[in-house]
Amino acid sequence: MTRLVIEDVSVDFGGIHALKDVTFSLESGSIVGLIGPNGAGKSTLLNCISGITRPTRGRVQLDGTVLSAMSSAAVARHGIGRVFQHPELVGDLSVHDNLLIACHRSLDYGLVSELLRLPTVRQQERAAADKVASVLSRLGIADSAGTSVRSLPYGHRKLLDLGRALLMDIRFLLLDEPIAGLNDSEIARLGEILLGLRQEFGLGILVVEHNMPFVSRLCDRLVVLDLGQLIANGPPAAVLSDARVMSSYLGEVADA
Amino acid sequence: MSAAADIIRVPKAPTSAGWGAALVALGLLLACAAPLGLNGYGLYLLTLTEIFALVALGLNLLTGYAGQISLCHASFFGVGAYATAILTQKAGLPYLLSLVAGALFTTAIGALVALPALRLKNIYLAIATLGFGVVLQKIIFEWRSLTGGGGGLALTAPHIAGYELGATGLYYLTLAFLTVGLFGAWNVSRGRTGRALLVIKESEIAAGSLGINAARYKVTAFAFSAFYAAIAGGLFAYLVRYINPESFSVGLSISFLSMMVIGGLGTIGGSILGAVFYVIVPELLRGIKDAPGLVFGLLLVTVMVFMPQGLWGMVRRLARRSAR
Repeated sequence: MTRLVIEDVSVDFGGIHALKDVTFSLESGSIVGLIGPNGAGKSTLLNCISGITRPTRGRVQLDGTVLSAMSSAAVARHGIGRVFQHPELVGDLSVHDNLLIACHRSLDYGLVSELLRLPTVRQQERAAADKVASVLSRLGIADSAGTSVRSLPYGHRKLLDLGRALLMDIRFLLLDEPIAGLNDSEIARLGEILLGLRQEFGLGILVVEHNMPFVSRLCDRLVVLDLGQLIANGPPAAVLSDARVMSSYLGEVADA
Repeated sequence: MSAAADIIRVPKAPTSAGWGAALVALGLLLACAAPLGLNGYGLYLLTLTEIFALVALGLNLLTGYAGQISLCHASFFGVGAYATAILTQKAGLPYLLSLVAGALFTTAIGALVALPALRLKNIYLAIATLGFGVVLQKIIFEWRSLTGGGGGLALTAPHIAGYELGATGLYYLTLAFLTVGLFGAWNVSRGRTGRALLVIKESEIAAGSLGINAARYKVTAFAFSAFYAAIAGGLFAYLVRYINPESFSVGLSISFLSMMVIGGLGTIGGSILGAVFYVIVPELLRGIKDAPGLVFGLLLVTVMVFMPQGLWGMVRRLARRSAR
């Protein structure tokens, strides 16, 4: 079993402590929800894990390999997939070609072969196109393969961003508010897809999400951040009845 | 799942690639026959068009694909021209060898220019490359013993395998480089490098999350486009047979950028059309008394206002409409 360990991670932005000594771990095959009020440091933590932000102190490890000193590209190569809150797609390209970009690491040809488009290039590109096709049908958006991303509904774009992560042979998936902007049927579909991924590939998933019913149905465990500190870590039922969590987070929701 | 994958195996319209191939074949046929029907000046213009198209093809990968603006490509063009000329004329190397060696030398400079550019974006990058361009041009100017300084270099006709390369020979040599360059640029644009560059233009953070090393690809794009510019420069030197530092000013860099934008940024066909427009249209306007520059300027404005996707975008839209 693979373990992604977040170890005493702190991030200071100027004088502000965005994260303070956060420690928890994520095992392959588990789905963990990362919750907390706005500004709690959830996205900062995802950025730390994916190598976009460097921790001021502490580290992130994957089975003993320290990820926190690596570039985001290197972290991705170690099998950590990231899906952003707002999908970052190439508007000019089709759905199919956007997914093809994510096959970058699995295509193993040099610039000279590419310039000449040698048989190995064509063969590898065909194999990548097949992988893309299978991911498209898994996501249920195979019909839109040739459509330009610009004309794609928002929900499908988010699925597409998830599809890109799936094409990268990842072991862990970091999702930032995956259901924001999705309709009910899309939310249900996303839940099914995530559970399927866990079952089939033993993917470990860390999901930042505000929607409590979705999170408590999906996750094995919840980690709660408040003002950069970890205040709870446990099964959803226990965490959601915790007094501190109630006052810091759910209380805020009730007030709103 | 595999059955579903089979059904959707072909996502793109196959006709688009077919059209492209037909268009290239037609263009090549016309280009091969062109010297038969052209006088010396016409042949010169057509050779110049092909040379500029080669620069635009390379620059398109850097600016159109990777989104990096360069204002020093005239200097790469110039370094290629001088390196080829000096290696041929002063070191006595064969012309073709000098051309390739000069281009490789310029490629290394292109990669060096990219290193500081990794920290800069947009207009800031443009200004930094402007600075590089000025420095390179100044070096050519001041290094009199090698380059002849402001007096320039006069060149004699090049030889290939003992045969003197006349205007027609140079035209076909340029056409050969353009054809190979077109093939290479097209292959790169539809391969993993082209796609990586497109993501980098959209968002470097997204590129990182996909395991794409943005810095490495930006250096590659700079070096690649410098190579194209330098080959074009080495051909240009022997087209005009006289080079001086003034020929490679920032104004020319801006012209290269305009060619791409007029033709259609991020498209291969646009790079060619843009070069054609830039060389041929001013010639057609020559007859207009006093005001060819004015009309050309207004034409540029008109194209940009009514064809924001450039000439190539217009061609594609017309082709699509007629296909319906």
